[in-house]
Amino acid sequence: MFNFIAYFFANILLLLYNFLGQQTVVAIAVLTVLLNLLLLPLTLSQQRSARKMQELQPKLEKLQKKYANDKEKLAQEQMRIYREEGINPAGGCLPLLVQLPIWFGLYRAIVFCVPRTPLDLFQFSQHIYKFLPGVEGLVPLQSTFLGMDLGRPPNITQWWSYALPVLVFATSWIQQKLLSPPSSGEDQSQAAAMNRQMQIMMPLMFMFFTLQYATGLSIYFIISNIIRVVQYYVIRRVQAQGEA
Amino acid sequence: MNRFFKRSWSLLILAVALLALSLSGCTGGVRATSWTGLNREGDQLYVADLTQVHLLDAASGDIVWSFPTDPRESNRGYFYVTPTVNETAVVVASQVPARGLFSQPQNIVWALDREDGRDLWRFDGAEGEYVEGGALGEDTFVIGNSDGSVYALDLETGDLRWSFETGHRVWATPLIVGDTVYVGSMDRHLYALNISDGEIVWDFETKGAFASQPVLEDGTLYIGAFDDKLYAIDAETGEERWHFAGENWFWGGLTVHQDVLYAVDVDGNAYALDLNTGDPIWHQALLGPDDQAVAVRAGPTLTEDYSKLLVGSEDGLLFALDTADGSEVWNSAADGQVLTPPVVGEETVYEARIYAPFRVRALRVDNGNQIWAYPPPDEE
Repeated sequence: MFNFIAYFFANILLLLYNFLGQQTVVAIAVLTVLLNLLLLPLTLSQQRSARKMQELQPKLEKLQKKYANDKEKLAQEQMRIYREEGINPAGGCLPLLVQLPIWFGLYRAIVFCVPRTPLDLFQFSQHIYKFLPGVEGLVPLQSTFLGMDLGRPPNITQWWSYALPVLVFATSWIQQKLLSPPSSGEDQSQAAAMNRQMQIMMPLMFMFFTLQYATGLSIYFIISNIIRVVQYYVIRRVQAQGEA
Repeated sequence: MNRFFKRSWSLLILAVALLALSLSGCTGGVRATSWTGLNREGDQLYVADLTQVHLLDAASGDIVWSFPTDPRESNRGYFYVTPTVNETAVVVASQVPARGLFSQPQNIVWALDREDGRDLWRFDGAEGEYVEGGALGEDTFVIGNSDGSVYALDLETGDLRWSFETGHRVWATPLIVGDTVYVGSMDRHLYALNISDGEIVWDFETKGAFASQPVLEDGTLYIGAFDDKLYAIDAETGEERWHFAGENWFWGGLTVHQDVLYAVDVDGNAYALDLNTGDPIWHQALLGPDDQAVAVRAGPTLTEDYSKLLVGSEDGLLFALDTADGSEVWNSAADGQVLTPPVVGEETVYEARIYAPFRVRALRVDNGNQIWAYPPPDEE
């Protein structure tokens, strides 16, 4: 199943590479934009949910004060409000779960198109969609970008390649901060604490991945995160104009 | 709510962690990333078999020596490439994996004493992996690397004489004829280089990558590419004489005998072509037990009497085809994948496998029956 997704993405990557001046990074960037368009309904629902959570914040803070000594009652009341408002409090992580097959597929697609080992390339040789125009003979794609090898993890010899995992961390943190349900400094509930931890943990995990895997995957993460941040501000602006 | 919230995040973290493990291939064992290298000189078989290089007795499959002697000495890395052998030395290459996030894998060319497997010298100046074996000149060893360069080393000392940088990975074994090194690159060029200084004599560009060693016959080079074509090229000038279009990439090397060129593409189509014109003489699609086409990485090997063409496949089948018409004479199935070209003796064919309990098997050329297997069953 995952391999099917990877072969599909790899062939799309070949097609884009052929039509976009045979630039691997440009092909990965355009594929990232396309994938984000595919995920747009999910992202929009996540952002709507985050905004509603923001609006509910005063109500939730009142509840916390009211039931400061009764955690169980507090949890019940919070759930009631979420239900009434049609909010899923775990809505922040569900879109990430849905993206897992996409990350896997894209990672494998990059490995197939910019292979580091011959076995990866051999596996892909049987799965090129020859009916696509211009894909014949394209593999392996040009693997260098700013002196970095897109098929390899960051390494000391190309020390500047470590900038990519740092950028992945930074953009993931910004994205996470904007899209996670907000909590005030006074909010000491377990959920709020968990949320604050996740704002650091998830970007750290992504940075850890990108230290180990092909740098081409970092390009996907960075561009995806930037798109989400831009989307967030565009949606806010549209909503603000609608309210005005 | 808190419990629900906590569970959702925990599920996400678990899923992401599982994804990371699956991407890294964290299976707890030695993981092949390339194929076993195999070569034969007289009654000796040289095998690059993951953590060791072995010299096996070709008649019995018994180990004569191993390098390193203890397979747990993993600091020598994993050996893959086809061992290159001369009168005194065996030259192989290995990769020592990175030990941590900020450490670098080491890629090493080793020269071993042919008699006892002692290491004579090592060269660790390349940044990428070695995928295919090198070629020996009179006093020079030439090998391509995944960092995109071709390295020429002093055969006595291992010192670097010159390197030549191409535009992509070099996964092909070079061919040395006289003063010229012919080597294909993934940058879609076949280069002719001067062996003394690595200067370009000519280069030939196609629309597909080159990953195999060319064959030279009567002044013409023959080589397959990833644009599904086989090329005949003038060895002096680099001018194309003819090309033949197959159905998929040509990755393995080619074999020539008496004006006939034999080749197999990765879709398992075996071809016999007229050496002078490229016109097909016969074409045979190799099929597995379920009548599906088999995937073939390695080039074909001719038996010593030129009557059969031997081809290994990813499905674990070794085929013997009649060179007269391409019809199947026999096939031998076993676990694993045969991605290395078989090597032949007078009455025996030797094949190397990956993902298999037996890494090397000796079979009878006439009927494909197994003679011995390495490692023997009780040593697995």
